[in-house]
Amino acid sequence: MDPKPVRAAVRLYGAALRFLPQGFRARYGRDLEFDFREIVLRAHMRRGASGVIAPTLHGVRDVMLSAVRERGRDGAMNGTMLGQPIRGRRAQPGEAMMRWMIELQQAARSLARRPGFAIAAVLTLGLGIGANVAIFAVVDAVLIQPLPYPESDEIAVIAHHAPGLNLPELQNSEGTLRFYREHARSFGALARVQTTESNLTGLERPARIMVAEVSPNIFDVLRTEPRLGRRFVAEDAVTTGPPTRAILTEQGWQARFARDPDVIGKRIVLNGQPVEIVGVMPDGFRFPGRETEVFVAREVDPAGPFGRFGISGLARLKPGVTVDAAHRELNALQKRFGEFDDDLTPAFLERAQWSATVERLHDSQVEDVRTALWIVFGTVGFVLLIACANVANLFLVRAEGRHREIAVRAAIGAGRGRLAWLFLAESLLLGLAGGAVGTAVASLAVEALVARGPEQLPRLHEVAVGARTMAFAIAVSLLIGVFFGLVALVRYVRPTMGAALRESRGDTGSRERHTLRHALITAQVALALVLLVGSGLMLRSFERLRAVDPGFQSNNLMSIGVSLGASPDRARTAAAYREIVREVAALPGVEGVGVINAMPIAATGLNGGSFAIEGRPVSDNAIPPTSMWTVASHGTLKALRVPLISGRAMEPRDSETQTNSAWVNQTFVKRHLADGTVLGQRIQLDGETWLTIAGVVGDVRTFGIDEEVTPMVYLPLSTTQPTTSIEIMSLAVRTDLAMNSVLPSIRAIIERVAPEAPITTARMMDEVIAESMADTSFTMVVLGIAAAVALLLGAIGLYGVITYVVAQRTREIGVRIALGAAPGRVMGLVVRQGLIVVGIGLVIGLAGALALTRLMESILFEVSARDPLVFGAVLVMLAAVSVAASYLPARRAAMLSPLEALRTE
Amino acid sequence: MPNRDLSEYLPLKAAWLHILLALAEGSRHGYAIRASVEERSEGRVRLWPATLYGSIRDMVAEGLIAEVAGEPAPDDDPRRRYYDLTGFGREVLQAEVRRLAKLVEAARLAQVVAET
Repeated sequence: MDPKPVRAAVRLYGAALRFLPQGFRARYGRDLEFDFREIVLRAHMRRGASGVIAPTLHGVRDVMLSAVRERGRDGAMNGTMLGQPIRGRRAQPGEAMMRWMIELQQAARSLARRPGFAIAAVLTLGLGIGANVAIFAVVDAVLIQPLPYPESDEIAVIAHHAPGLNLPELQNSEGTLRFYREHARSFGALARVQTTESNLTGLERPARIMVAEVSPNIFDVLRTEPRLGRRFVAEDAVTTGPPTRAILTEQGWQARFARDPDVIGKRIVLNGQPVEIVGVMPDGFRFPGRETEVFVAREVDPAGPFGRFGISGLARLKPGVTVDAAHRELNALQKRFGEFDDDLTPAFLERAQWSATVERLHDSQVEDVRTALWIVFGTVGFVLLIACANVANLFLVRAEGRHREIAVRAAIGAGRGRLAWLFLAESLLLGLAGGAVGTAVASLAVEALVARGPEQLPRLHEVAVGARTMAFAIAVSLLIGVFFGLVALVRYVRPTMGAALRESRGDTGSRERHTLRHALITAQVALALVLLVGSGLMLRSFERLRAVDPGFQSNNLMSIGVSLGASPDRARTAAAYREIVREVAALPGVEGVGVINAMPIAATGLNGGSFAIEGRPVSDNAIPPTSMWTVASHGTLKALRVPLISGRAMEPRDSETQTNSAWVNQTFVKRHLADGTVLGQRIQLDGETWLTIAGVVGDVRTFGIDEEVTPMVYLPLSTTQPTTSIEIMSLAVRTDLAMNSVLPSIRAIIERVAPEAPITTARMMDEVIAESMADTSFTMVVLGIAAAVALLLGAIGLYGVITYVVAQRTREIGVRIALGAAPGRVMGLVVRQGLIVVGIGLVIGLAGALALTRLMESILFEVSARDPLVFGAVLVMLAAVSVAASYLPARRAAMLSPLEALRTE
Repeated sequence: MPNRDLSEYLPLKAAWLHILLALAEGSRHGYAIRASVEERSEGRVRLWPATLYGSIRDMVAEGLIAEVAGEPAPDDDPRRRYYDLTGFGREVLQAEVRRLAKLVEAARLAQVVAET
């Protein structure tokens, strides 16, 4: 058996042989293959696999040239010209192909004669195509390709919304899941999913990991089976208390067990409770999030409350049931909620604008990035158009130089069709070469993107340059090739060939010849304006985001996850946190420290709901006031530098004893207590103890820098409110020391006080804020680069055209100067000509920008899509660049000496 | 094919000359011709298969070479075809070599290259 490279080379050679005429192939085909095999075999022996390449290329080239020669001879024997279809003789198989080969060869030679043109065109196109191919790969993988589950468009996310309650999205309660499972006909299966963070112990080192609590029928919904072990069965699931069975995801299997194949049956300890591993999910399975390490089995609790929301519901629609139909069914069913929960009467639901939502899983995963991705895709599309306009300009310049060549060719008998083929062959070659460069660029870009793209981009790991992306690249390249072919055709193939032959040198450019050129510049200016406005708007958004007051001072502030886990003895847990805080505060260089369960910007696991204000009974069916609440130790707000607006600050005694005090933020006051006393007012959360408002503090952006501030109640660490949790907290440490120098001491303290507490990440809050703006900054950077490229290409194009026009008018300008026109007037003449073209482009671009930037509204932050500042600045900038691009050639024109100008031909 | 005009073939195409030279040493199959040419030219001339067999076909048609029943070497494929010079082929080769020799002599007399 021959080595693989040799076999591949021989197969390729065999394919190339098909181009040879039938008779020759029948007689010598076998000999050719024998010899070729011998040649590559020896090359392989001498130089290894890479040695095969050169003889293969030579061999194939030899076959192709021979094919041209042989067929040319066949043609000659039949008394025909090479490349002309032969009338009365049936075309032989492969003949059309051969003609093409000849055209391509000629085209390649013709391009090689002007390498500057070819290189400029290929590089410009390569960059444009590359950007498009890379973004297409992302758009395709994230938005277009279905999720990697069988029949994934049947998978839907069930949730509830109640804008009237001023709470973030309500998901499901044990009750609603129970109710829908029993009554909804739309679903083949409805699974319960709840993500939590848990302490993982029992292995080498404790860790805090993402855990998904799922009902066993999740496997019916996702239709994905474990790669090892088995799926969950009904008996695995608990309804209350700690879970007992787990399935690892790829992440967990990798990180905690180094892909140990004998992991089935082993135990891990989650939040202090042993759990048995029964399975491992396949690689690439990322549900619900890419950080999820463990699934545990938990079934819907038959006795669980109806009114406590916060559980995800994931359904598989029955075949043929649409999302809309399911949506209608749930909204009809929810009218019966009142039967199960006294508060959720139809009248209340209506006032809360309550509705159930059903959304495809794919849509719910990508909805945050969909707009931004399409905008980025559109942006790079514009860049490609501008690049094409520039290359088209290059084509036109080249066309001027070839007028006579073409006319000569036509005169000696080349038909118009044949000339057309020649141009098409040239432009196709350019397009494909650009596509090849572009694909290489795209591969690098995609690699970089997958490695370093924004965390928030879902399905990023699925992005790759695959068959579909390649098909896209080829299609775009061919399209561009044909487009330029047509541009060239419009220029050359005219009935007035004779006129071109007669054409005298130095004639002033005909108006008609400039029309196309001017149209290209107009288009470029218009496109550049749209891109510049788009990137200007993103820049302004980013600036506004940066200007947002997060409500606390993020510099020199560190956030360290510290979770002591669920302990039945809450007082003891609180005491442990207090001890950690006390010891960290004593470290040198620490200016402030506190512990809180909702660190600003990236808060998770917050509690909230309706509450009562003393002396203000809520009438039946009216919507009660709502707020979020969070638990913080007394030093926290001071460490965060959240300002105290009125009242007293939280004191150590609040953390240690039950003072029944609460602190509220300004939004809370504005929304709920605007017309009464605030300090001393009593509120009651969830029908528990009455708490007295002891102080008002500044607003903090809890959920992200671009998220609205919600009403917030701060409860001291000593609180025993059952709806609050202190299992998972964050330590806020203010210090101007470097993170590395203070972190080990803090970790040592945590380890001493709570040996079982996992080591978790520590981060600077500045970094957290930057990440919160990552979506915007990513889009901004892409748009910014695109706009810069657009501006540059546009300026180059304009400069080229004005220069050309000046060159064409040199004689005329010379006459004017000879007749005494002042240099200033000549310059004005030339610049004016450029600016008229630019002006038309600006008007068209302005209209386009007004229409298109509206699509950006949803990703803008506090900036109107018609921001006059941005539009104005862009107009001024483009105008300035245009003047500059026209000025240089104009100056050259004005400096001409009349004699020189008149002598020019 | 008697009395054919040798001059019709001169000057010989480079590939034909190389093939005739290779076969002057005895009958060979296609790959052996290529190897012989490559060796003689110290690797400068390489006849790639399609060109080689195109020439072979034309030279057979012109009666310069002929296919012969070769005596395959033990490690050769028995399906290989062997070629040898015809008498006419040998005449053409000799005529070409004489023509080249005259040229070389002329060049020498004109002292185009330094004598060694």
